[in-house]
Amino acid sequence: MLRSLAVISNTAFSWNIAQDLRSMWQYAFMQHAFEAGTIVAIVAGVVGYFVVIRRLSFAAHALSHVGFAGAAGAALIGVNPIYGLLAFTSGGGLAMAALGRKAASRDVQIGTVLAFMLGLGVLFISLYKGYATEAYSLLFGEILGISSTDVYITLIAGILILIATLLLYRRLLFTSLDEDVAEARGISILGMSICFMLLIAVATSIAIQVVGVLLIFALMVTPAAAAQRISGRPLQGITISVIISLVVSWIGLFVSYYVAYPVSFFIVSAAFAVYLATRLIPQRAARS
Amino acid sequence: MNKLKMAWASGIIIVVALIVFAFFTSTHNNTPTVNPNGRLQIVAAENFWGSLASQIGGSQVQVKSIITDPNADPHEYESNTADARAIATANFVIINGAGYDSWANKLLSASPSSTRQVLDVASLLGKKNGDNPHFWYSPMYVNKVTYQILQDLIRLEPNNKSYFSGNYQKLMTSLKTYQNRIADIKRHFSGVKVAATEDIFYYLAQASGLNLVSPPAFTEAVAEGNDPPAGSVVTFEQQLESGQVKLLVYNTQTVTPLTSNMKDLALTNNIPIVGVSEIIEPPNTSFQNWMNGEIINIENALNMSVKRSP
Repeated sequence: MLRSLAVISNTAFSWNIAQDLRSMWQYAFMQHAFEAGTIVAIVAGVVGYFVVIRRLSFAAHALSHVGFAGAAGAALIGVNPIYGLLAFTSGGGLAMAALGRKAASRDVQIGTVLAFMLGLGVLFISLYKGYATEAYSLLFGEILGISSTDVYITLIAGILILIATLLLYRRLLFTSLDEDVAEARGISILGMSICFMLLIAVATSIAIQVVGVLLIFALMVTPAAAAQRISGRPLQGITISVIISLVVSWIGLFVSYYVAYPVSFFIVSAAFAVYLATRLIPQRAARS
Repeated sequence: MNKLKMAWASGIIIVVALIVFAFFTSTHNNTPTVNPNGRLQIVAAENFWGSLASQIGGSQVQVKSIITDPNADPHEYESNTADARAIATANFVIINGAGYDSWANKLLSASPSSTRQVLDVASLLGKKNGDNPHFWYSPMYVNKVTYQILQDLIRLEPNNKSYFSGNYQKLMTSLKTYQNRIADIKRHFSGVKVAATEDIFYYLAQASGLNLVSPPAFTEAVAEGNDPPAGSVVTFEQQLESGQVKLLVYNTQTVTPLTSNMKDLALTNNIPIVGVSEIIEPPNTSFQNWMNGEIINIENALNMSVKRSP
């Protein structure tokens, strides 16, 4: 009991939320966390919607861990970890898309690619003469340790990913909802699969460095899963997914300012609470 | 899906993105430096450096050490806002560096400040990422860092120069106790073969003239939470079984099934075992008392298994 009291920080919470926000934004690190958190939440909300309807949450999880091998490899040859991350997540995404063409068989291919990549990561870490915490710290990116350069990089990457999603939107949705009909209409399932995997790969690579593996994975899957239970219509679903993702990120950051536990815990818990709440809504007949 | 709705949705996204942009242009207050009671605010990433700083700073400083739990693995720390805020508002931040606390580097770069003094121990010692980061186990490095802390404090508060210098002298005298004990071990047990489960013992073995024979591939892998190569495990086991090793030092904070096996093996071969920790244990004791206790244990264990050379 005493311990839990001691952990509550001395900064006072008032019901004047605007005042509270102003006081936390005095700190550059809180500003950066809100900025980067907002961008990542929007991107994750949009991309995550397709992750969920394409049943790719395992792939999203796998890609964020494949990034670990890439970061370790980059550390080994002494280049910026982001290149390793991008190379490995893209390579892993391509392999997963190419090996598991249809959604039904994808599960196993993702598992095998993930296992191989993790093995490579362990090898790179042991070959790397340095202190491995560096590579590990990537896995747990610091949402409170974001510099203003990081925010700009995230912003540019986020805009590019949203533009790409917008351009692919119709075909992506079509192949996600009904692979066979889409194929009959002449849309390349493999092509779309590869495009989308690359999209997740880039999104996770950028977000890992900023918010860490846990948060990007949580924001990609949970809000979209909740949104899907609220609305069966794609555009509504995407909008709701973005809103949930934004709200939980902000709530998580807000609460963590007053209660000194890791931010990711609060964000993930808020997202899970929203998801549980949507489970209470009786599931309507699926519409498309 | 009509195009209108799609445009509407993308509109929302762009608007939100613009709000994000608005953040950028909003007044970027420099992080406030709060000085309750006018005392210098010092943040140390780990409590061994924090303990030294608080002894030099005395009543003129307030020290917050972030990693203080001797039962947790310091390699697996996740930051919270209280720590980030402490770093943002500190006048003086001490970090170990060399990848040991890369989270602290991130927290520093997230809260840029032109007035904050930062002491990166690794760069002071000319070490880089990849070097063994357990610098506080080398008496030579500890003295160097202690002196630098004094210099930094004087730079921050020149008015208190004589006060800080007085405290520094007292601290140096107090540090002598454990450092003399290390010299004593060197005098009597130089060249004795010892083993360690983790590379935490490297600098201390060097300072005390002990011959650390355990395979580096093993100790490094344990420090990094990795699997040691099978060959290094075999070598380690042979060293313990053949009786050539007179002491096993194990890191109480990075315990794995493999290091426990080595402990058991040492036990069955009547090799004395001494545990050392990364972080001050118990947390409310001073750096030098903690070190002294560990070194007494090492000396006692050596006395048990080796004949003292005159």
